[in-house]
Amino acid sequence: MIEDTIAFLKGYKNSVIGLVGLGILIFFVVVAIFAPYIAPYDPHEMYKPVRHPNSDHLLGTNHIGQDILSELIYGTRVSLFIAFISSIIASYIGTSLGLIAGYFEKFGFFFMRIVDGFLAIPRLPLIIVIAAFMRPSIWNLIFIFVFFGWPFTARIIRSEVLSLRNRPYVDAVRMLGAGNFYILCRHILPNVIPLVVVQLIMEASHVVLAEASLSFLGLGDPTTKSWGMILHYAFEYPTIFISDLWKWWMLPAGLCITFTILSLTFIGYALEDLVNPRLRREIL
Amino acid sequence: MHKITKIATYGIIIFVILSFNFFLPRIMPGDPFAFLTGDPSTDMPVVLDAGIKAKLLSYYGLDKPLSMQYYDYIANILHGDLGWSIYYNAPVWDVLRGSLKWTLLLVGTSTVIYMASGIMLGAVSAWKKGKRVDAGLLTFILSLSSFPSFFLGLLFIILFGVDLGLFPISGARTPFMDYSTSFEEIIDILHHLLLPAATLVIAHIGGIYLLTRNSMLNVLGEDYILTARAKGLREGYIMRRHALKNALLPISTMIALIAGFMITGTILVETVFAYPGVGRLLYEAVLVRDYPLLQGAFMIITLLIIAANLAADMIYVYLDPRVKHK
Repeated sequence: MIEDTIAFLKGYKNSVIGLVGLGILIFFVVVAIFAPYIAPYDPHEMYKPVRHPNSDHLLGTNHIGQDILSELIYGTRVSLFIAFISSIIASYIGTSLGLIAGYFEKFGFFFMRIVDGFLAIPRLPLIIVIAAFMRPSIWNLIFIFVFFGWPFTARIIRSEVLSLRNRPYVDAVRMLGAGNFYILCRHILPNVIPLVVVQLIMEASHVVLAEASLSFLGLGDPTTKSWGMILHYAFEYPTIFISDLWKWWMLPAGLCITFTILSLTFIGYALEDLVNPRLRREIL
Repeated sequence: MHKITKIATYGIIIFVILSFNFFLPRIMPGDPFAFLTGDPSTDMPVVLDAGIKAKLLSYYGLDKPLSMQYYDYIANILHGDLGWSIYYNAPVWDVLRGSLKWTLLLVGTSTVIYMASGIMLGAVSAWKKGKRVDAGLLTFILSLSSFPSFFLGLLFIILFGVDLGLFPISGARTPFMDYSTSFEEIIDILHHLLLPAATLVIAHIGGIYLLTRNSMLNVLGEDYILTARAKGLREGYIMRRHALKNALLPISTMIALIAGFMITGTILVETVFAYPGVGRLLYEAVLVRDYPLLQGAFMIITLLIIAANLAADMIYVYLDPRVKHK
């Protein structure tokens, strides 16, 4: 197991894309953790509205006079928190159900019909409608993202388990008298963990995008500072396009979202390249 | 068996969506007449007395028991009646019909450009695997598709619409314009279409690009490619006729997902560009709590996506005759 991890890290080290992604993500994580120490102001404190950038407010102030730089720094917390909490819970549920559905055939058949149904339902329109009826709070958003996130993982894990459970080594363990639960936990789960990690990273990037989209549409939590919310208020401001305001009000927030998604996409891609041996196969 | 499960699955999905559609707006906060009374925080809230409100509720059938409302709802949909939009004061279907053509135009145009360019780039990338072209394309496209569509749209509006003044920044056609010829009208519509369509394509292109690239890489490892090479066929010929043709097969199963993405993506893009499609209508309906319109817009979007799913299933059977015999 330890040798595997070391070999894995060595492989990852060779991926430029993966390293760039990891670098950007670590930057955002550090900003999120130390937000109170980095941010010059409390993001809810109000000063003179719509100030251009100056020595007091490096990125100016918004329509109600809050420091935009501080909003951005605290926004990192919100985006990353929602993304990782939802994707971790969704992966946990998806993996558990995927393992069971792959191992027990009868349950698996009915289960997959439900998963297919889930996957065929258009995600964003439904989330918009649900977000509009639920009181928009962080925990409600997380609930929605988990609710719609787990089927993807479940599906992928199940198909992997289907191919694993008939391998000779599993038969061998079974002949030695191992129980189903033991086989699932000790001999199948470790083999799907790399896939779960890839799936978790991909899911996190979907959640960052979905949260930003919802907030941009004005369906986010109005009391928390998220990047999508900053864009929402900027977009609503009447002279946003015909003045220079967008340069410090819109652009930084948009770039933060973009770079977070970019880092997760890069990491996800680099991991998938390592984990999925079919893609690694040498081509003539 | 395969077909029956598929059709049953879609049937159940449509039923679930319709029921969802019915119950969700009714649990939403706010009430459907809020737009009449205005926001209580503004200077001039209009007071709606209980009698008038009761009359309005009964007029719209909102005072009946929930089960009756549900029955009416299903029955009306089967008759093609989607109800009356409270906000627009017009039949929902009429409001939607006007915007449906714009959404179809936007999604149709973008999907065609998206498929063509994504498949081409993915195929080239896989063919040049490990070379600079592949690494460059991969990094470029992964970076590009990290931009959220609405942010990309905003940048396009500022750059091409405001700064350079090349394109209109909102709507689907110039308002109050008298077109002297229909050619002029088509040019005007395309002019308005270009930025939203470009946004939609660029924001989503990563998916199909990676899909084609992976699928091509799998195919390129097959023995028949080696055989083709051994026969001394030209590279371009092998790529198009031997590799891409087979690589496209698994992609066709993803067309449904892709179409779903595009239709979903229009909600944000239409909002940013004020493009008068169904997505924009859905957003407006949420803002003003127009239940019937919200239900209608949501239903149309869902049905479009399910139709795309069905179409993809059919295309797949046509492309891969092996499926029939399973």
